[in-house]
Amino acid sequence: MEQGVDMDSWVIAMMLGASLLLGATALVAFLWAIKNGQFDDEEKFLNAAKFDGEDELNDAIKKEQKKENLKKSYRPE
Amino acid sequence: MSSKVACSHCHIKFDESVMIKEEEHYFCCSGCKGVFHLLQDRGLNSFYDKSKDIELSMQNQNLEDSSTFDSQSFYDKFVKTNSDGFCEVSLIIEGIHCSACVWLNEKVLHKMDGIIDANINFTNNKATIVWVDDIVKLSAIIDTIRSIGYNAFAYDSLAQELHANKERKSYYLKMAVAIFASMNTMWIAVAQYAGYFSGITQDIKTILNIAEGILATPVLFYSGWVFFRGAYYGYKNRVVNMDMLVATGATLTYMYSLYITISQRGEAYFDSVSMIITFVLIGKFLEVLSKKNAADTLDKIANSIPSEVKILKENRIITMKLDDVSIGDIVIVSSGERVLLDGEIIKGSGSFDESNLTGESEHIYKSAGMSVISGTLSVDADIYFRATKDFKHSTLSNIVKLLESAINKKPKIQQMANRLSEHFSSIILGLSLLTFFLWWLWTNNFETSLMVAISVIIIACPCALALATPVATLVGLGLGASRGVLFKEAAGLEIMAKTDTLVLDKTGTITVGKPEVVKEHILEEFDKTLLYSLALSSKHPVAKGVANYLKNSDENSCDIVFDEFSQLPALGLKAKLGNIELLGGNKKLLDENKIEIDFLTQGTLFYFAIDKRVVAIYELEDRVKDGVKEFIKSIKKMNIDVVMLTGDNQNIANRVAQKVGIKNILSEQTPQSKAEYINRLSSEKKTVVMVGDGINDILALASADIGIVMGSGSDIAVEVGDVVLLNSSIKSLEDAFKISRTTFGLIKQNLGISLIYNALTIPLAMAGYVIPLVAAISMSASSLLVVGNSMRIRYKWNRE
Repeated sequence: MEQGVDMDSWVIAMMLGASLLLGATALVAFLWAIKNGQFDDEEKFLNAAKFDGEDELNDAIKKEQKKENLKKSYRPE
Repeated sequence: MSSKVACSHCHIKFDESVMIKEEEHYFCCSGCKGVFHLLQDRGLNSFYDKSKDIELSMQNQNLEDSSTFDSQSFYDKFVKTNSDGFCEVSLIIEGIHCSACVWLNEKVLHKMDGIIDANINFTNNKATIVWVDDIVKLSAIIDTIRSIGYNAFAYDSLAQELHANKERKSYYLKMAVAIFASMNTMWIAVAQYAGYFSGITQDIKTILNIAEGILATPVLFYSGWVFFRGAYYGYKNRVVNMDMLVATGATLTYMYSLYITISQRGEAYFDSVSMIITFVLIGKFLEVLSKKNAADTLDKIANSIPSEVKILKENRIITMKLDDVSIGDIVIVSSGERVLLDGEIIKGSGSFDESNLTGESEHIYKSAGMSVISGTLSVDADIYFRATKDFKHSTLSNIVKLLESAINKKPKIQQMANRLSEHFSSIILGLSLLTFFLWWLWTNNFETSLMVAISVIIIACPCALALATPVATLVGLGLGASRGVLFKEAAGLEIMAKTDTLVLDKTGTITVGKPEVVKEHILEEFDKTLLYSLALSSKHPVAKGVANYLKNSDENSCDIVFDEFSQLPALGLKAKLGNIELLGGNKKLLDENKIEIDFLTQGTLFYFAIDKRVVAIYELEDRVKDGVKEFIKSIKKMNIDVVMLTGDNQNIANRVAQKVGIKNILSEQTPQSKAEYINRLSSEKKTVVMVGDGINDILALASADIGIVMGSGSDIAVEVGDVVLLNSSIKSLEDAFKISRTTFGLIKQNLGISLIYNALTIPLAMAGYVIPLVAAISMSASSLLVVGNSMRIRYKWNRE
């Protein structure tokens, strides 16, 4: 009997922990997107969902790389 | 017959015969063709898949030389260096029609060497571009934007604007965390409450408490940070504010719940911590959203004054910074420009619009030897004048200084909720302390006493109180917006509801502000097309009034091109068509051409003569707007005094005042004396609303408790005003008063609801009868009541 109660608690703790962790992951992603300015222009992010494909993702990576390179080579002191 | 085909680039349809044909593509102009090939070369064809059939603008534009963008003065003004040391500029991109345009611009810019980031906002067409100045110059960037068929202008993104955006974003983040945590806490709380009634093991209870505690922690310390900060500032200023109550309440509850969780006894209140913070944070956000920044206004005013003037030096015209002009320099002003310095005319003549200084609506004719005043507008004068004062001491910069002090000194009426919450917070904190000591004396049990004391704070949750004002004002702002009344600041609604004096400017507020023809006297038959074309060629308000009248009353709107045409400053217009000579203007023009006429009335007259014979006379008058009389009557019924101010003379003022039924008139007012009058009313403890539209009203608008501006007014006035009437009608002014009173009534009701709720529940809590479930439910219920009550008003108004 004692064993059963402990088992129940353990299951509930697990489920609570797992679901909160999942929720928190989504929240962190959402916060990152807000900080990143992805919701600043509502038209744009709605259209991104419609149009963005493989090319756009590649472009985004290229852009990041270019930014890094320029930052490295032209960093003013 | 040829059919219409669409241009391959801009999709505008033209006759096939006029198009440039190239294989299967058609182009309307070489500009479009150029852009089309450019995109093709760069592999950006998919632009046309994205833009579909949306019509773009044609590409044959004439643009100013882009090299000016590389000048030092341009860089000084618009280009900033960001935290990484790169250049950053804010541009407005012209010609953006669709998301494909945004895509194209960003794509092309990203492909350029040296550009680090380009971000274009589709909604407001503003772009932020970051680049390395050593690799690429700004002019090259702008040339690129132009080469694909758009144009870019620099604009000064204000520090305040950036700050406001940042603050808003930080609220979004905080609210996202708070709402996420509260929602999750709620479903855990359901298990808690179910357990409270049907029994629950301590193990499970502790697990649920820990989960709630984990969720409540970021809410209290991250989302709730604003309350700790507010409480700290309140403490520094020795005020017990709402933030103090929220911060202490939430922290005490949190601590107590932690203790309960660890000691594994009693009920934890983590759900209350999250909910209090979330609700009050939302209320605070609504308030921040509708706040206006005084510094922002001043920046915009300073920006609206051009920073450079044209100077004649050693027979060459150079542009010079306004601050660098010294006394004795010769300044050039062309027609349509604003005079920026005080001085004395040495060459040229013409009429000046001094209405923003004197309020006099008639233009004033000035010639060599006479003085010009900064801030006035040259209507048709091209003059050279010698500066007699530098910019710092000029009339214009004096006015700006006065305006600054008026805005900063603006009377602050404390909002009712703020005043109330000060007392409320102290009383609640006091009561909970009292409860604690009484219970301790009575039961001698520290734990129970603390729990009861905390339940007092929780039950007195300021949620409803914090939401009472923001929700009501939001409803008011919405009602206003749907009726063309724009309240720039939520507090404006409350202040306006307390108004007891209404001060109206005459021109543009009571009257239309432009002369309109009230009577037409035809002395001889003539071709009205001649007069219409003549009047249309001038920008003078009287000529415009005549042109408007003819346009409305007749259909002869075809335009004649005159062989000879000249504007005679302060006299009128003169034109020749074949050997017919046309004259249109005032009495002086007739005198000068030795034409005699006998005609006397009070209004402004416009004479029209063909070959030195007067054929028609038009009487013009600044007409009173529709519905002013009824408006004045209903305002007087609300027990508000009405005063009319005007820069015009006593005669005109009396005539208008009589028509609309105003008894208190002050005529021949300068901008300064208008402001002084408002200040005098304020010092008599009156709450003053000033309504105006011109630059001559801005000092008074800024001095009044509430400045209401007609949307058609000058930009600066719109900037200074607290309320803008978008359609400039008297009807919306009346709406503004009604809405503000309704909203204020609503605020009072909401505050009443939350106070009654507290009066009922606090004694229960002090007596120790409040169980957590009741606390949680009543907390939400009071907030819902307040929100529901506000919605009720909106539906009532919308049905009308």
